[in-house]
Amino acid sequence: MKFQDPDQEKPIKALQVFSLPVGLRAATLKATVDRQEIPLPDFHEEGYTISFINFKGDVRIGTGHRPGDKEQTASPGLGLICAAGRPMSFRTGASVPFAALVLFVPKGWVPLFLGANTPFRKLEQQLEEGAIITCRLGRRQLSQLSSALNVPGEKASVALGEKAPAASGDKAIAVLDLQNSALALLEYFLCNRHRSLLGVSPTSDIENEDDLSLIREVESYISEYYCSDTFTVDSILKKTYTSYHRLNFLFKSIHGMTISEYIRNKRIEKSKEMIADNVKSISQIAYEIGYSSISNYILAFKKVYQITPGKYKKQIDSLA
Amino acid sequence: MSYVSLENSESFLKCFEVIAEDKSCIVSDSVLYFSGKTGKGFITAAGIHTGIEVLALNVSMLTDDLTIRFQPSPDASSYILHFDEIEIPAKGDNELPVNNLSGGEKSHSAVSIAGAGRGKTIVYPRERVIRSLVVRVRKNSLDDLIKDFDAGTIGAVLDSPEGPASLTWPITFKYRLLLNDFMNEIVQHPFRELFTIRNVSMLMEYLLQQFFVMQKLAAEGNGLSSQDTRSLSRVEQHLCLHYKKEFPGIEKLSRISAMSPTSLKTKFKRYYGETLFGYYQKNKLEHARKLLDSKIPVKVVATEIGYSNPSHFTLAFKKEYGFSPWHYLNPH
Repeated sequence: MKFQDPDQEKPIKALQVFSLPVGLRAATLKATVDRQEIPLPDFHEEGYTISFINFKGDVRIGTGHRPGDKEQTASPGLGLICAAGRPMSFRTGASVPFAALVLFVPKGWVPLFLGANTPFRKLEQQLEEGAIITCRLGRRQLSQLSSALNVPGEKASVALGEKAPAASGDKAIAVLDLQNSALALLEYFLCNRHRSLLGVSPTSDIENEDDLSLIREVESYISEYYCSDTFTVDSILKKTYTSYHRLNFLFKSIHGMTISEYIRNKRIEKSKEMIADNVKSISQIAYEIGYSSISNYILAFKKVYQITPGKYKKQIDSLA
Repeated sequence: MSYVSLENSESFLKCFEVIAEDKSCIVSDSVLYFSGKTGKGFITAAGIHTGIEVLALNVSMLTDDLTIRFQPSPDASSYILHFDEIEIPAKGDNELPVNNLSGGEKSHSAVSIAGAGRGKTIVYPRERVIRSLVVRVRKNSLDDLIKDFDAGTIGAVLDSPEGPASLTWPITFKYRLLLNDFMNEIVQHPFRELFTIRNVSMLMEYLLQQFFVMQKLAAEGNGLSSQDTRSLSRVEQHLCLHYKKEFPGIEKLSRISAMSPTSLKTKFKRYYGETLFGYYQKNKLEHARKLLDSKIPVKVVATEIGYSNPSHFTLAFKKEYGFSPWHYLNPH
């Protein structure tokens, strides 16, 4: 199989094609590419190609036949699926280190291994209509990708914690290694798409499912414990294994405030209700919602409602 | 005794009906659930018609033995692989495993490959915790793979009429980890077939690697009695289960195995291709890697697997894999 380059008329050397025992075909490419267009292998068969790419620098995805038309910027660590034979290429301006694993899924493979999944049919339909569907790869997937690309040449099975087998078995193990990584990536891609096809769509700019569920977990934890005086942001971090900065970042993008602001607001809101109930004194309330000093509480209240709790109480009393 | 016969692809599915009828179980969406009276867990099949057919058992405390039989097929066009993890249910933490694994014909924790030509009967004992994958793979799809690898050794051994009907190796922590993950996810996985084929592919890689090591060890003369292997697998199980604690120490292990420390060391190495501590450490770090995959920070992972000092953990990790946990999480 030859991969023609319009400029130089010679195939990219770093591109290797494998037939995987499970019936897929895979091409790996790992090189510093310094040309206009990085061609994808054409498998000359009906099916789907899934490319997993990673690079440094500036790469655009071209979906037209000629350079220049229909381009969009690609981000590193991306998986793309499209119907095979659809024009798609990666274009660069300057020389960039570029790594790709291209998987070809023959049409006959689909009903055997993916047929039972109904959401996949939706995906298939979109692909038939010519869509390119993308998915961001996580850290784990990136390391899988890089170990998959290391497989053929060096004794890269080290990455899997294996001792490199002796020469006779090298190739078989290497192909199996590649197959395992390829299948894992494919599985990740499909599961990821599967969720969004089922309609679990992210509501904000946070795309990651895990992040959302983390936030929900933290929120429910806060609403349970925010009145306790031993409750601290630290205890949340310990419970959820996250760093302060990360949690703050996530909170800001969802609630528009830092986590401590969020907790403070919750407490002050609660105290406002308690003041309105007019049963307890302000100092009592301050201790009950977890403040250790009254002046801290008054300051916090003032920050949220621009009024001191005492004045607020008077206002309510005068209204009553 | 439940008795299942497998001849062709369809019988993989049919066998569910047989077991279900026999044990009054529930079958739903090609998964068979035990009802509780006759055992706990499930059996499921995957990969039917793909040339790699898989039967997965994740059951515990069956009230009766379960027999799965592959009929001898004259054309012998496939291999049967099975990966069994069969444990006595844990009673206490400090108890030594009881030595009653001598179930005769019954299956014990092992991985094995056999030609389908002579048929195969697997008996799963009752009152055990069983995780098992039975894989029937068409010869041509496996042969391409292993021809290059071992120059047809596996095929030749299995095909010769005088040779053993199957090749069996001890199960190791890698299989255990994989089987465990597999069973946890298989039932709700949205792409069951794909998930199965990926795991089977990984199991095959392990199997081939193990074959390679074992072949070399066998060539050097193995000389282990069946009693030895049983003791060794007890030690192995102990090391696997107690990865969170300190290394138990050679004295304790030699008590478990009823061998002298020296012969335990040499025999273990001969059987598993690893030293006792090396095996324990590898298992431990594999667990650590799994925890890292689920986004638990390095510090917590270190404590979780029994390191009091995270930098000791980092050192051990680096020694084993060649990169630090941090680099594992941030490959770029």
